[in-house]
Amino acid sequence: MSQTTSASQATGVNPAAGSQTAGSQTTGAPTVAGRVVDARASLRRSLSGTPGRLRILALLAVAVSLIFGLGAYSAFGSAEAALSRAGANAAQLVRIQAIHTNLVRADADATNAFLVGGLEPADQRTSYTSSMQQASRLIAEAAKAQPADGPALGALNDSVLTYAGLIEQARATNRQALPVGAQYLRVASSGLRSSALPILDALVQANDARVRAEFDAARGASAVLIASGVLALLVLIGGMIWLSRRTHRYLNVPMAGATVAILVTLVVGVIVLASIGSTVSTVRDGSYAATLATAKARIAAFDAKSNESLTLIARGSGSAFEKAWVSSSKVVTEQSAAATKLSNDAASMGEKWKGYVNAHAQIRTKDDGGQWDLAVKQAIGSDPTSANATFNAFDVASGAALTSNSSAAADSLDAPRTWLPFISWLGLLVGIAAAVSAWWGVSLRLEEYR
Amino acid sequence: MSRHAATCKTDTCKARTHKARTSEARTHGAQAARAHTYKAVLGSIVAGFAILVTAGCSGSGVYSTTPVPAARPSSTPTSGATSAPPVNCGNPLASFAPTGPNPAPGSPMPAGSYMKTIQDRGRLIAGVSADTLLLGARNPLNGQIEGFDIDMLKAVSKAIFGDPNRIEYRVITTAQRIPALEDGSVDIVARAMTINCARWQQIDFSTEYYRAGQKVLVAKGSPVNSMADLKGKRVCAPNGSTSMDKLRTFPGLIPVGSDTHTGCLVLFQQGKVDAITGDDTILAGLAAQDPYAYVVKAPAFTAEPYGLGVSKTHPEFVRFVNGGLAQMRTDGQWKTAYDSWLKAALGPAPAPPAAVYGRQP
Repeated sequence: MSQTTSASQATGVNPAAGSQTAGSQTTGAPTVAGRVVDARASLRRSLSGTPGRLRILALLAVAVSLIFGLGAYSAFGSAEAALSRAGANAAQLVRIQAIHTNLVRADADATNAFLVGGLEPADQRTSYTSSMQQASRLIAEAAKAQPADGPALGALNDSVLTYAGLIEQARATNRQALPVGAQYLRVASSGLRSSALPILDALVQANDARVRAEFDAARGASAVLIASGVLALLVLIGGMIWLSRRTHRYLNVPMAGATVAILVTLVVGVIVLASIGSTVSTVRDGSYAATLATAKARIAAFDAKSNESLTLIARGSGSAFEKAWVSSSKVVTEQSAAATKLSNDAASMGEKWKGYVNAHAQIRTKDDGGQWDLAVKQAIGSDPTSANATFNAFDVASGAALTSNSSAAADSLDAPRTWLPFISWLGLLVGIAAAVSAWWGVSLRLEEYR
Repeated sequence: MSRHAATCKTDTCKARTHKARTSEARTHGAQAARAHTYKAVLGSIVAGFAILVTAGCSGSGVYSTTPVPAARPSSTPTSGATSAPPVNCGNPLASFAPTGPNPAPGSPMPAGSYMKTIQDRGRLIAGVSADTLLLGARNPLNGQIEGFDIDMLKAVSKAIFGDPNRIEYRVITTAQRIPALEDGSVDIVARAMTINCARWQQIDFSTEYYRAGQKVLVAKGSPVNSMADLKGKRVCAPNGSTSMDKLRTFPGLIPVGSDTHTGCLVLFQQGKVDAITGDDTILAGLAAQDPYAYVVKAPAFTAEPYGLGVSKTHPEFVRFVNGGLAQMRTDGQWKTAYDSWLKAALGPAPAPPAAVYGRQP
């Protein structure tokens, strides 16, 4: 009501008189615009002069202290989260490589059993079945563990299903002594290599990239802590210098306390995060790298074993498979050497592989010398110097190395995670306490102006 | 301000008012500046919080989806026009005549001859098929490769060593037959190989040891009586075979290539092709493995004379092989081989194809 009258009175009247009446009426009955003006005016008044500056200092000190608290909380929290995710991604990587290993192991069993003839050995059949079962279980687990891998694992499941179907058809046909069984085996094997293995490679790459990104995140967590800490220290120390000049008191004890608390938290926090960074570097270049190398060696090894059988199945025209064996064997040797350098558990891998390489060389000598039957007999035999037995020794040694390295990596990544959440809450508390303390310190001086 | 102006009358007051006005203006300016810095401080604090919040959330554990590699295109169905240009070589069936009777089996072969090389090595290296039932196939029960083609090789082995089993089998695909001979990795090829003039340019052939003919295999119950009924259908043949060359001459069919005829059978059983074309001998072997496959009864639409392939570098070995084949035709070995492999599928033994000579190396 009063607003409309004042507005109608103000319009079309002499500006000087109008402003006079409007002004007097506004003080009488406050409008919305008037209230905002009033609030601004009182804010200006409260921030003007030395008390005003003191209030600004108090606000700034509280703000930077709280920012430091949040910074510390988020730095420790994100280090903890990054470690947790790095561990989860590393576990996923190990899972993917276990799928890969199981698939190539199944193929090695299927192809080797095929050499035997229509009646495949029961234990090789069991080994094939359990490898396929583990692979399909792991695919489901992996899809649950990392939704981002879902579509790729779905495609992988597709090709594993096709592979298993073709192998069953090969077995059934082979059991009826029909030569078309061999063709089904070849189609299955080459299909597995052309469709499933590229998907597995993509999965390994993606998860390795995720692990490395989280490693970097864990190592870079201290940046936030340092930035917020330095900001808080600058403001608090600057504020204390300004206060001491203004008030002729050398030390504002509560503010100094807040400064010291933040400084101590900052220094301790940086040390803690640096130690986590060095743990991460150790894991990345140590047990994690050893895990990767061991897994790569195992995958290449089973691939080589499949190719040994495929060379013999191809009977004289398997030079492409033997070439594949040679390059796989080179990968095994290199990765075994890399794993051995990184971990004592992997020390025997290279020696065990050499044992198998010798057995393989004997098979090749026989086959190349025209004694295919003897070569096959050696390839499917199981006496201690046979290819199967020496390969099995490598399998056992490398499997043990893989388990110990991957659990060592997981343990090292998990260790700091027990106390990191506690530290991150502590950091937040220090920030809040410093904020309260700084406010108190400034308000002591502010009291003197009342 | 206006009130000051209205109420103030005296000079001192005016002066005071002026002073007040200027000081007020100064304060006002200072306040505005302070408000500005205040806003800036507030802004930077808000920005600081925002940075912290984003820093806390950046590693939220939500990753971009793992890329699924595109499926590699299957390498099987190739169909580039590789038909050899027609070459005139006279009668393609004419081979090199034997120079007198062969040395007795197992006796030392003539010095410098390729037979001597084979004998010294201790085994004949032969390129064969391990999955062409009836002609050359690995028996899954005992792991041995056996068939009509293999029996021809056993005769050659017997003629050199006096022992039919001194053979190292090299399993090769249809397309590998000529390259394997050219690079010397096998001594002889017995793999349902048709003698023709184009191939005479690259390798030598023995005399004809069997006369096959191209037919077509379809699913049981399908209303196909000839190639003409297969318009618009996918028909499989091995790459590098005369069957594939012939298949390409039929208009309106979709040729699909494979490594071997057994590869075609897998495609047929998977429903990826509608028919398989090849020699009647080979199709009989495929039909024997699949009760739902049926070889169309119409007469063969080509003649496929089979010969043993040998490298162009040792014609004396071709003459030797021809001598052995001549003996097989007359002493009943040929009929025995036919009866044990092909009789059940293709009927009673015809007369063995007559040897034609007259070609000079």
